[in-house]
Amino acid sequence: MVLQVENLHTHLHLKRGILRAVDGVSLSVGEGETLGLVGESGSGKTLTGLSLLRLLPKGSGRIVEGSIRLDGQELTTLPEAAMAQTIRGRRIAMIMQDPMTSLNPVFSIGDQVSNPLRNHNIAQGAALRSKVVEVLTQVRIPSAEKRLGDYPHQFSGGQRQRIVAAMAIGCTPRLLVADEPTTALDVTIQVQIIALLRQIQADTGTGIILITHDLGVAASLCHRIAVMYAGRIVETGPVRRIYKSPSHPYTQALLAAIPRLGEKRSRLQAIPGQPPSLIDPPTGCRFAPRCPARMEKCAEQPPIVQLADGHEAACWKLA
Amino acid sequence: MLALQNVTKHYKTRRGTVRAVEGVSFEVRPKSTLALVGESGCGKTTIAKMILQLERPTAGAIAFEGANTATMNAAALKQYRRQVMAVFQDPYASLNPRLRVGTIIAEPLLAHENPGRAAVEKRVADVLDIVGLPATAARLYPHEFSGGQRQRIAIARALALRPRLMVLDEPVSALDVSIRAQVLNLLADIQQEFGLTYLIIAHDLALVEHFSDDVAVIYLGRVAEAGPTAEVFAQPRHPYTQALLAAVPQPDPDHVLNEAAAAGEIASALDPPSGCRFHPRCPLAIERCRSETPEPRGTPHQAACHLVEA
Repeated sequence: MVLQVENLHTHLHLKRGILRAVDGVSLSVGEGETLGLVGESGSGKTLTGLSLLRLLPKGSGRIVEGSIRLDGQELTTLPEAAMAQTIRGRRIAMIMQDPMTSLNPVFSIGDQVSNPLRNHNIAQGAALRSKVVEVLTQVRIPSAEKRLGDYPHQFSGGQRQRIVAAMAIGCTPRLLVADEPTTALDVTIQVQIIALLRQIQADTGTGIILITHDLGVAASLCHRIAVMYAGRIVETGPVRRIYKSPSHPYTQALLAAIPRLGEKRSRLQAIPGQPPSLIDPPTGCRFAPRCPARMEKCAEQPPIVQLADGHEAACWKLA
Repeated sequence: MLALQNVTKHYKTRRGTVRAVEGVSFEVRPKSTLALVGESGCGKTTIAKMILQLERPTAGAIAFEGANTATMNAAALKQYRRQVMAVFQDPYASLNPRLRVGTIIAEPLLAHENPGRAAVEKRVADVLDIVGLPATAARLYPHEFSGGQRQRIAIARALALRPRLMVLDEPVSALDVSIRAQVLNLLADIQQEFGLTYLIIAHDLALVEHFSDDVAVIYLGRVAEAGPTAEVFAQPRHPYTQALLAAVPQPDPDHVLNEAAAAGEIASALDPPSGCRFHPRCPLAIERCRSETPEPRGTPHQAACHLVEA
């Protein structure tokens, strides 16, 4: 296993109270595997990703419990200096949603792509330059050599996201955390970035965590899926199991709520209500207030039920 | 109901003329939903702005029930404005955070007819009820509501003057998946109940197929393909529509994406390609596509492509 996360709890200390953004998340990613972390806004999927890099909001964000191991090495107790020198950007890299905010508008792209390589002593001098050209070519920036001096605004949206990907993969990380990497892009560009991520993985064998709310993107890229709701993973399994035989009522409701191409229905199946506040979450199953299969038992925390090889869901109905 | 005839919008900038919309024609039938589909920068929002009278067309005509909006007098224009309302994408930006919900919804009423305090309050309560919010919501501020509820408030405001046409610009794309279906179902119910006509702008093609009766696919300011949604989606004729549909990731792990459907990226409207504007990305382009702008062929399902038989 490249990454093993156990019982992770990340809290945000806000003026309104303690927000239990990640509340007991366990997951793993293997070599060359893509895990989709799927959920709605506020479900804790982004904070799970940021916890892995220990990039939580300064002052308010804290990992309070649990373990994160990268190739067996515990990260939650690693000193910040070691985290910065040996992990962040080196062995775990991140691609964020909006390429315009991850690129600095006043530095050339040659500068920005060489930064992680220089900081982590991957290459210097002429070797650094040729390495930068190599990664930019790998993400298919045309005539990369001539464009090293260009600035982000001189590239299109799709190309900018390719440059962000080049920054992330330069140091051949073991794990790539991609947070909504295609959400800001048009559909014909989105498909190109999906293809690029697949190619990067085939070339380098990196593990990928794809954080997304888009069940279509997740289906097209992931080997396994973890569905998050209100700070917890409610269902995990191989991609085919999750889409063909979803078991948790939330996963079922989510898949039923989206319109699909080629399938005309008169009405969409809406999920009533809205997700709970994570400052004062309901006890027991957090989906219970919206769940069509709710029982009395749901007031207690549901057990994690093994349904098949690698397929599990946290629901009393399945117990 | 609403007809656009050869509508063109150019913007003069220091770097040259941006040809945002170029000779767009379509009709929205009464009580139906027409969807405008296309990628960012294709001009669909500019078209909506012209319909809402927020921009003036450089050329061409927009007619509402046969009357050209460009030649309307002030009174007719005011009448037009109260019959055509809009719901925008981001309910965090479209509602004034310093006004109470009741005031937000009452604003168009006060601007247009000011029927007196009691009547306004009654109408506010009525439209809140229509969108599924309690009358007490009127006393609260927008920040006290979730994204889905805010979009309901924006819909209530649009309904306050009993409009005939609603322009919905990406009405659910800022909302979560589980909330989208609620709002879409609400919009469908309202349309049915009040006989509304919708013009919806959306990039989610599955949603468009589900929600609209007719569709117009826009590429770089021109209509590439248009017609009844069911026909266009079942048998797309324009290579761009085909590429769009092939690129949509589906919630099905067995679905194979066509990654080569449309290479490259949309060109700049400052310097659009000659001939067919899609030709640099088109896998089927022939010499003629470079030089000659294709005219729309076929009716009611039309495509502007040299390779399509009329």
